[in-house]
Amino acid sequence: MAALVNEKARMVSNEPVGPRLHLMALESPKIAAAVLPGQFVHMKVPGAEQHILRRPFSVYAADSNRGILEILYQEIGSLTRFMPGIVEGEFETIGPVGNGWSGERRFSEGSATHALLVGGGVGAAPLFMLAQALHAKGCPTDVVLGAQTFDALVARTRYQQAMGVEPCCATDDGSYGRAGFCTSLVEERLADGCLIDGVPYDYLAVCGPEPLMRIVANMGCSHGVYTEVSMEKRMACGIGACLSCVVDTTGGKRRSCVDGPVFDASEIVW
Amino acid sequence: MRIPRSTNIKLDVNLGGLSMKNPVTTASGTFAAGREYNDFVDVASLGAVTTKGVSLNGWEGNASPRIAETPSGMLNSIGLQNPGVNHLIEHELPWLRAAGATTIVNISGHSFDEYVSVVEALEETDLVDAYEVNISCPNVDAGGMTIGTDPKSVERVVGLCRAATKRPMIVKLTPNVTDISEIARAATAAGADALSLINTLLGMAIDATRRKPQLARYVGGLSGPAVKPVALRMVWEVHKAVDVPLLGMGGICTGIDAIEFILAGASAVAVGTANFTNPTATVDVVDGIIEYCEQQGVEDVNELIGGLQ
Repeated sequence: MAALVNEKARMVSNEPVGPRLHLMALESPKIAAAVLPGQFVHMKVPGAEQHILRRPFSVYAADSNRGILEILYQEIGSLTRFMPGIVEGEFETIGPVGNGWSGERRFSEGSATHALLVGGGVGAAPLFMLAQALHAKGCPTDVVLGAQTFDALVARTRYQQAMGVEPCCATDDGSYGRAGFCTSLVEERLADGCLIDGVPYDYLAVCGPEPLMRIVANMGCSHGVYTEVSMEKRMACGIGACLSCVVDTTGGKRRSCVDGPVFDASEIVW
Repeated sequence: MRIPRSTNIKLDVNLGGLSMKNPVTTASGTFAAGREYNDFVDVASLGAVTTKGVSLNGWEGNASPRIAETPSGMLNSIGLQNPGVNHLIEHELPWLRAAGATTIVNISGHSFDEYVSVVEALEETDLVDAYEVNISCPNVDAGGMTIGTDPKSVERVVGLCRAATKRPMIVKLTPNVTDISEIARAATAAGADALSLINTLLGMAIDATRRKPQLARYVGGLSGPAVKPVALRMVWEVHKAVDVPLLGMGGICTGIDAIEFILAGASAVAVGTANFTNPTATVDVVDGIIEYCEQQGVEDVNELIGGLQ
């Protein structure tokens, strides 16, 4: 893993993109040059001094030439409800943190030949760089995205542009794509195989709410597909020291920050 | 990797026989055994590194969620998760030694015997500069705070550890008592070379929407800037009550925070929760102490210890 840096990242933009969803761009050249798909940044939000802890944010996209990181975030708690009001400032940012997706390496090694990526809600964000990387290497890759409504399917067009085909989408309210949870789409894909050639998948990556990851991981395992999940727990240090963010695994309690956030799903004790 | 800026000010202090090149160490449990912070600070440039609490055979710790952020602070209930003293000796302490760090090892136990066994295991190595005996963790059901709130138990465990080592021995006190001076006197009577305080304040956070506790274990230890006034008051009280040097901690984020503790009676200070906010907090605190001394015309930081006027 590359050395961690603590970089003052200047906010470039911070725009609403959907219901309680915002896209933020930060100038963070060192991290943008080093970040790998699935890694995250640990950020101190400026102007929120009462909040003493940093927050982990997945990296949606990185442009190493321009030194820009993009972060897709959802208003969840008081700090993320505060963030949309920030118009300028510097975010002290530690990164790139953690072990990301292994898909690209597995494709290079030949152990992954057909990939299925499943993103629920903002879980679409930490999979996007993986999708880009797999597509660039020529790995047949299908994407399933789920969201509550059409307006919340904010990553859909970007995936479409990057992959050249529309991702398989589901919305809870039926306003776009399959009505209901995206799990039925995942089950179909696993049964039918890769869209391009019908070959069964041998790599499945899922990120989203924990119940979704559990269900999809179980589907992947029952089809014999190597499956990875990206776990996020409440974090304090974000660099492996405090043991706040542990995940129960078959190998004991492991840190989601630096042992993860991406884990082999078969090792997770849900 | 940061180091403090150079200065002619005399910064070295003596904490009950432990020589520290400056008054700043880390609060146990916030810095692991230093390695995680190696991209940010030079551990050799700190007064000492205090390692995460270690038990004899390793503990799994508590269920998640283990932390909750609170106004200007945080609660934790990690539960002293650690892989055991042999792992520390084999994998962590040699790294600290090679890195040039002064090392304080924080020790824990579920029983008096376990504390002694941990010390005995560490006595077999030359990788320890001092011990910090943790009789104040609020997040375990046996040992920890259950010992540290009872003067007789404090005397017993400190006396047993004292008999097991000649190295400097710091005893870490809990603030969750009616009279911390009474506990401090018990620890020093049993042979403590120095006292560290405060450990975390027992607290609770509730999610009203879900009507659930924020922590799986319901209660945890409060730390961060929110506790600093309580910690200062207790350092000041204990400084008046006993003659041994004190290691002050509780919400220290800046050099000025550290100076306040030193004025209240601390010979050295520990940076804890601030490491989570700012991975270079330890070195920033040393720099802040230097800046204060320069501005105030202080040539030796020892002049400030208990210097409240």
